[in-house]
Amino acid sequence: MIGNQLALIRRELWEHRSLYVVPCVVAIVIVLVEITGQTAVSAFGKHIDMALLGATNIGVNERAAVISALMAVMSSLFVIEMWILTIFYSLDSLYAERKDKSILFWRSLPITDAETVISKLLTALVVIPLITLAVIAVTHLLVLLITSIWVGMRGANAWHLIWDAVPLVDNWAATFILLLALAIWLSPFVGWFLLVSSYTRRSPLLMAMLPIILLPMLERSILKSTLLFDALFVRSGKIPIYKDVDLEGLFDEKMFQIASADGISIVSMLDVGGFLASPGLWAGIIVCGLFTTAAIYVRRFRGES
Amino acid sequence: MKTIVHAQNVSKTFGATTAVDNVSFDIESGRIMGLIGPNGAGKTTLLKAVLGLTDCQGSLSVLGLDPFKQRKELMQHICFIADVAVLPSWIKVAQLLDFVESIHPRFSREKADQLLATTKILATSKVRELSKGMVTQLHLSIITAVDAKLLVLDEPTLGLDIIFRKDFYSNLLNDYFDGERTIIITTHQVEEIENLLTDVMFINDGRIVLNSNVDSLRDHFVELTASGENIEKARALGPFNEREVFGKSVLTFEGIEREKLSAFGGVRTPDIADLFVAKVKGASK
Repeated sequence: MIGNQLALIRRELWEHRSLYVVPCVVAIVIVLVEITGQTAVSAFGKHIDMALLGATNIGVNERAAVISALMAVMSSLFVIEMWILTIFYSLDSLYAERKDKSILFWRSLPITDAETVISKLLTALVVIPLITLAVIAVTHLLVLLITSIWVGMRGANAWHLIWDAVPLVDNWAATFILLLALAIWLSPFVGWFLLVSSYTRRSPLLMAMLPIILLPMLERSILKSTLLFDALFVRSGKIPIYKDVDLEGLFDEKMFQIASADGISIVSMLDVGGFLASPGLWAGIIVCGLFTTAAIYVRRFRGES
Repeated sequence: MKTIVHAQNVSKTFGATTAVDNVSFDIESGRIMGLIGPNGAGKTTLLKAVLGLTDCQGSLSVLGLDPFKQRKELMQHICFIADVAVLPSWIKVAQLLDFVESIHPRFSREKADQLLATTKILATSKVRELSKGMVTQLHLSIITAVDAKLLVLDEPTLGLDIIFRKDFYSNLLNDYFDGERTIIITTHQVEEIENLLTDVMFINDGRIVLNSNVDSLRDHFVELTASGENIEKARALGPFNEREVFGKSVLTFEGIEREKLSAFGGVRTPDIADLFVAKVKGASK
């Protein structure tokens, strides 16, 4: 069973090379932008040196906060990229095999339809976040390394400025938790995409998005209620994993207050227990399970086409 | 002799149309069964039911398993090639072999590699880079390397040139068939497989028109080529089909002694293709 899953997931990576190519492209763009940016600002030599001097003299926690914020901005670019990728992957995963008619070949092998569909779900919810995490970590390291060289060339102490301060492991642990939590939180959408992918005869993107957009509008105009709208859009934006932290404060002067109080730790701002205990999470998992089961049945009973 | 496929009163309907209409048959191990019928006769539907790709009414057991409910177990012992079951175009040959090796307990990588070494197919090629004939060769090599009890071929050589077709069937006999394995095959090019078959089953409008082993066809069916007044005399003996070839009449008889006919003209055992046409046309009259 597990052996089959590994083989099936490896198959997904062979077929969908975009799963690792796209994050790598984003990483290259970020690194290039960074190099370009540093070259550009180097024109303001004196000001840069002053800034570096200032950075040397603030506390280690403040430096950690600034660098963590920079890392978080990079990570969030990857999160956006990851979700675009996940949407396209899950819509294609059960559609492509019907379009290129290879489905009968895959079904001629001793694998159940459930195993196949679950491998695609796992790819979307676990493998894509793991690949994204790995690329994020490498990008962080590359960007910090390039910055270190740049800082060093200007005569500042990169170890003191960057490496001594940056909470790399904490950052990555938090990214790991957030990527997986987000994947599970949004898993009902992935389940829906898999179902559309297994069912639709054409344009899976359109078929998946139309009900998501039209049904809440219909509900609003006919029933005068917003249940679907809340379930689809309000819920999506409110993942209950952050502790009661003033997140907006992180981006103004309070950042330094929070940071200087007890050092910067993003992990400590996350409430994994509370997330796992939230009914909204389990409701989502059940919805995802229902859609996935439906996708399995569609693949199994569609002998006719 | 073991019964590989046992079908009793099997039907399959799609809405108002009946693709397979209450058919019953058995296929023993070690046989090569030709399933022959016109387009839309229900061959593919019947094969899909045997392969567990579609459900059906009635009782159908393959290798003692319920094909639809126990498809995974069944697929360890069955292989199939269908003109519609194409290999994925994006995959590399080596990846395909890796994949089948990792999920199929009865697949021999060594044997597949040996078979492929005799072809022009490279492990690094993608399927989309291969010609249609080479893709079929690849598929056959994979299937031959699986230690399966039943092989189902649905129009396996459709669209291939004559050389590939001949090679396909000779490889099938030399590498795959060992006297214990069982093959079910459908094709429009009946003449090419006539010599391989041990059994034939004709299917038309979802019903079985004839189910016989090839040896007993000779005892049952006679084709008489007659001319002139002999035609009338022969007609009196009740042929089930008649056609004209170069001004002579060819009459097909079932269950009649050859000696009775030889007085009226040339007598021979009909080809499977001719017999099929005679049977289907005879039935529609």
